[in-house]
Amino acid sequence: MKQEVLVDARWLPPPEPMEKVLLALDALRPGQRIRLLLHREPYPLYGMLENMGYLHRTHMIADGCFEILIEARQT
Amino acid sequence: MIAPGLALEQAPPFSAPLRFFLTAPLFLAVAGLLAAWQPDWSADVRVPFGLALTHLLTLGFLGMVMLGALTQMLPVVAGAPVPGVRRVAGLGHLALLLGTPLLAWGLAGGGEMALLAAGALLATGLLPFLGAASLSLLRGRALDTLRAMALALTALAATLALTALAATLACGLALLGWLAGLWLPADPAAWLNVHVLAGMAGWIGLLILGVAWQVVPMLQLTPAYPPRLTRFLLVAAGTGLLASWLPAESMRLAGKLLLALAAVVFALTTLRLQQQRKRKIPDVALSYWRLGMANLILAAALLPLANSPALQGLTGLLFLLGFAVSVVNGMLCKIVPFLAWFHLQGQRGMLASGLPSMKDYLPDAACRAQFRLHLAALACLLPAPFLPLMAAPGGLLLAASAILLGWNLTRAAQRFHACGGRF
Repeated sequence: MKQEVLVDARWLPPPEPMEKVLLALDALRPGQRIRLLLHREPYPLYGMLENMGYLHRTHMIADGCFEILIEARQT
Repeated sequence: MIAPGLALEQAPPFSAPLRFFLTAPLFLAVAGLLAAWQPDWSADVRVPFGLALTHLLTLGFLGMVMLGALTQMLPVVAGAPVPGVRRVAGLGHLALLLGTPLLAWGLAGGGEMALLAAGALLATGLLPFLGAASLSLLRGRALDTLRAMALALTALAATLALTALAATLACGLALLGWLAGLWLPADPAAWLNVHVLAGMAGWIGLLILGVAWQVVPMLQLTPAYPPRLTRFLLVAAGTGLLASWLPAESMRLAGKLLLALAAVVFALTTLRLQQQRKRKIPDVALSYWRLGMANLILAAALLPLANSPALQGLTGLLFLLGFAVSVVNGMLCKIVPFLAWFHLQGQRGMLASGLPSMKDYLPDAACRAQFRLHLAALACLLPAPFLPLMAAPGGLLLAASAILLGWNLTRAAQRFHACGGRF
């Protein structure tokens, strides 16, 4: 089983990036994390992830896009 | 399991903006029918039917959509909800729904009582809305990030637009009082000048400007508007508006030139950014925006030169119908399906699957058909100040376009409801 699920949502119009992330979260297995690539910082997503029990870390990558690593919060 | 209602804490209920969006096309349709029925309206915008028609467009269609959009937009750009949004939106909507036809009737010769009742209704509904929107902007969070600064510029544009709306309303009520014989202003033309410019350049222009800075990069995947340019546009538009209200003719002309410059710079920048978008696929909203920007450039070029009734009529048409109605139409095609998707997803749990996608609510083909009707209406109506014969087909096409818009939006709302969505 892959430990990292890649979601490349760069330059997709809203709400397609959100739809892709939600689908990926729905299919996420224990121990897996999501690597989301996006052309802008997804501020509305952060609050949702927090409410759903996920942690996230955001970095800007070489092409000016953002990489967001999402994983379930350890309880 | 994921709880429903996520990410909805900040957003108003769907009914708050939707009630405005669903009823606005009705007024556009009535404006079209009136244009067809009274084809000589275009000879002079200040004749009774011209005034009625203008207010059906500005208050009935544009005002409706813009107030609805503000209920949705203010919590995001100000970072604070509109207090009592359900009641304030309900009251504002009712005031426009009843007050606009009454005002149009009064202006078209329906009598003083209609004018006074319309004024009272509009003031009763719009003042609480203005108060609540101002509170939302005043309670806005402290700004310390780049994103917050970008939002702050939109919040500032919204603040200036709401101030202009207050000035438009105040002057409009004063003019109604004059028409109803309650008082006699020394210079009614000066009141009219402030009313028209505050309403068009201030309320409509500045709000679309502020909204464009957020939605064009986000929805059309373009680069962001340069921050220095957005600051220049705000200063130029604000200064131009103030100068255009001064008594000295030279200052008024300078003000209009500054307003025209800001409009041209904004339109050209928007067109250039749209050229640089990342995914060059056909999009109806983009077509509406491009049409709107082209009309804005023409309106701005004519503004300082429009010294005959026909040219003033054409400038007004280019700005209101060619620019504002086009852009608002394009935004409605995106906003309503997006909100339907967002609310249904939130209500059913963000991870619920099998729900309609955004395009299922409002297919591109339905929007494209409506765009073609709008384009045909515009092609007939723009020459109408010089060729009054064109007003009848133009008005009928405008009414058809508005009815199709209303039908498209209503179907999106019906689909939302059929999938279990709560308004």
